Amino acid sequence: MPVIIEVAPAALFVENLFFRLATVAYLAATIGYLLNLGGKKEWGNFASLSLRIAFVLQTAFLVTRGINVERVPFVGHFEFGNLFIWSTALVYLWTEWRQKERYYAVGAFLLPLLLLYVIYVNLPMVNSAHRPLPPVLRYPLWLNIHVSTSVLGYAGFSLAFALALMWLLRTGLEKTVAQASPFMKTVFKAIPQPKALEDYMYSASAFGFLFQTAMIISGSIWADASWGRYWGWDPKEMWSLITWFVFAVYLHARFTRGWSGSRTVALVMVGWVAMMFTWLGVAWLLSGIHSFG
Amino acid sequence: MNNEASGLPERPAAPDSPQKQILNFLSSMQLGIILLLLLAVISVFATLRPMDEAIANIYTSWWFVGIMSFTALNLLLCTVERIGPLYRQAFRPRLEISFEAVKKMSVSRTVKLKKTAADPLSGAAAVFKANGLSARVVDAPAGQLLFGEKGRLGYFGSVVTHLSLLLILLGAMYGALTGFETQGGGRSGETFFVREGNFHVNIHEVKMEYLDEDGKVRPRAKSNITVTRRGEEIGRQLVSINIPLRFEGVSIYHSTFLWVSQLTITDPQTGESVGPVKLLDGDQYTVQDKNIAISALAFFPDFTMTPEGRPTTRGYKPNRPVLAYRITEGGQQRQWELLELGKPTVVETAAGPLELTLSGFENAAVYSIAKNLGRPYLFIGSMLMLAGMYMSFFLSPRRFYAVFDGKSSTLAVGGRGYRNKLLIEQLMEKIETELQQKEEK
Repeated sequence: MPVIIEVAPAALFVENLFFRLATVAYLAATIGYLLNLGGKKEWGNFASLSLRIAFVLQTAFLVTRGINVERVPFVGHFEFGNLFIWSTALVYLWTEWRQKERYYAVGAFLLPLLLLYVIYVNLPMVNSAHRPLPPVLRYPLWLNIHVSTSVLGYAGFSLAFALALMWLLRTGLEKTVAQASPFMKTVFKAIPQPKALEDYMYSASAFGFLFQTAMIISGSIWADASWGRYWGWDPKEMWSLITWFVFAVYLHARFTRGWSGSRTVALVMVGWVAMMFTWLGVAWLLSGIHSFG
Repeated sequence: MNNEASGLPERPAAPDSPQKQILNFLSSMQLGIILLLLLAVISVFATLRPMDEAIANIYTSWWFVGIMSFTALNLLLCTVERIGPLYRQAFRPRLEISFEAVKKMSVSRTVKLKKTAADPLSGAAAVFKANGLSARVVDAPAGQLLFGEKGRLGYFGSVVTHLSLLLILLGAMYGALTGFETQGGGRSGETFFVREGNFHVNIHEVKMEYLDEDGKVRPRAKSNITVTRRGEEIGRQLVSINIPLRFEGVSIYHSTFLWVSQLTITDPQTGESVGPVKLLDGDQYTVQDKNIAISALAFFPDFTMTPEGRPTTRGYKPNRPVLAYRITEGGQQRQWELLELGKPTVVETAAGPLELTLSGFENAAVYSIAKNLGRPYLFIGSMLMLAGMYMSFFLSPRRFYAVFDGKSSTLAVGGRGYRNKLLIEQLMEKIETELQQKEEK
């Protein structure tokens, strides 16, 4: 029995406007970071500014969405996706603010990924209807904690994945850079050293892992109050745990076993795939009690 | 005197005892990694199967529980083995470090001092302190050493995290072994007995809270319940979704609600009537003397028909209550029929006519009842785990050393971290800049 909240046309227009403008700004930021990576350094600041504008616009979108649905806009694929994009932008902007211009190259790898997420939430199959909360989700404390920690965890893992892609390109080019085209030489020079990339990757993964843990724990506490059990072996729960397992292996392998290079990069990539499956695969391919639309 | 110097053949190192080898294997990180990956792979496979089947055949199977237990054992041994070395690392840092050793640290800098050469370490100590490090000068055999550190608790982050995970696993095991999970429910005024907990649940009232005007949003069912044991009250609360009643480690959760149709059956010839008979969807009532059975198929609180001609409901609010039912006579099922609230329908049967009336309806509440004595341990374990991770990732231990070489008038500064080399490099950059600024002033 699908229920739709009726939203005033003007309010809907404002919400959609912020959403579209944020999409355009993310596109502009992606182009800017890619041009910067390709040697047009003057585009770096433009990209960073565009991303900040995109972030502000998406914040405005989330606020208007929240007003229109009369609750926190944390529920359903569309709202969760937007929140995830927003938090990934936030985590990236924070790291860029700390690392300054030298971090722009990371943006050239993260932003295309972010743009893919943006394209996904723009797809017609992603239901963006304004729906009220079902009773089980009317528990603001745990809803807010569970979803916020979830998107921050995903953000950390996305950043780690972008860094893993950079590492692959950097090490792949290392042997052939002498014969590479001038463009590829420029790209090669712009990407930080593999060791530094691994350190960034570790930090991003640790950040994601902490919040993924907090997400699983808060979900368990909430499930205990709502469903009468803290763990129900639901596909979403299990895939969150699988993602957690993979990143736990990565963190231990890197720190305690001293793994580095391709093995750790492979683990981060597998972890990101598991995370994406938790988000998209479970929703579209598997069924369970986490089906809130 | 070593073997080489004495001219004796080198004696191979004695192998560890079998017990030691087994212990090493069980406590190895390599085993932990393999077990975690194995659990991940099995879980992937399990999620591709229907959930009930996965729970019955995989998650609760002896071999899956065995792998989990093996992982817990590995975690325990691994953690216990590391406590000693970590304690020594945290509280007994090696401070006999020479100028050359500091220079050789993976993160190190050298700064030429002229102005501050008279008292080189106090200047550096001020810089250390300005960067949040506790700083002290230590007299070592190789000379004076400035030692600064921060984040000592971070050494124990992994220990706290691992022990918390064990507490969670033990809590889950304790809860599973001492607890139970069951279901029960009923209508207003009914009582049901929970055998596993030896108590009765009296349902005083089941009411619905509609969350929107149209009743399209699933309403919140609320019920006033009292729990009694041998006539004595042990719990009382208004229970609804997200608000369970908890007592003695037992929780009674509102799980779902059902519609109960009240059917009155009258014989128009005699005027005799039966009922109201209370039927849940799927229930059947047999009218003995007529040899017919009436099955309640579905209750529609706000009845309408789809364009395809199927009955449905517009919402949860009982604006137009209708019961879909079917009559079975002499083993023959008839076509389904609809019965609207308060509108009697006469049904012809071989034994004569029968008048059916949907005379009312009510709601029944369904509860999940679970006893879990492991809950406090799970909660404490979870909080400890977050604290442990915070200690691991955000309280990164950092140690800085500075030794002055009078001959070359150079200060060597070296930094070491436990996990976060990036942080050490960033801090080293700041320290170097500040030392140089001090020198230039």
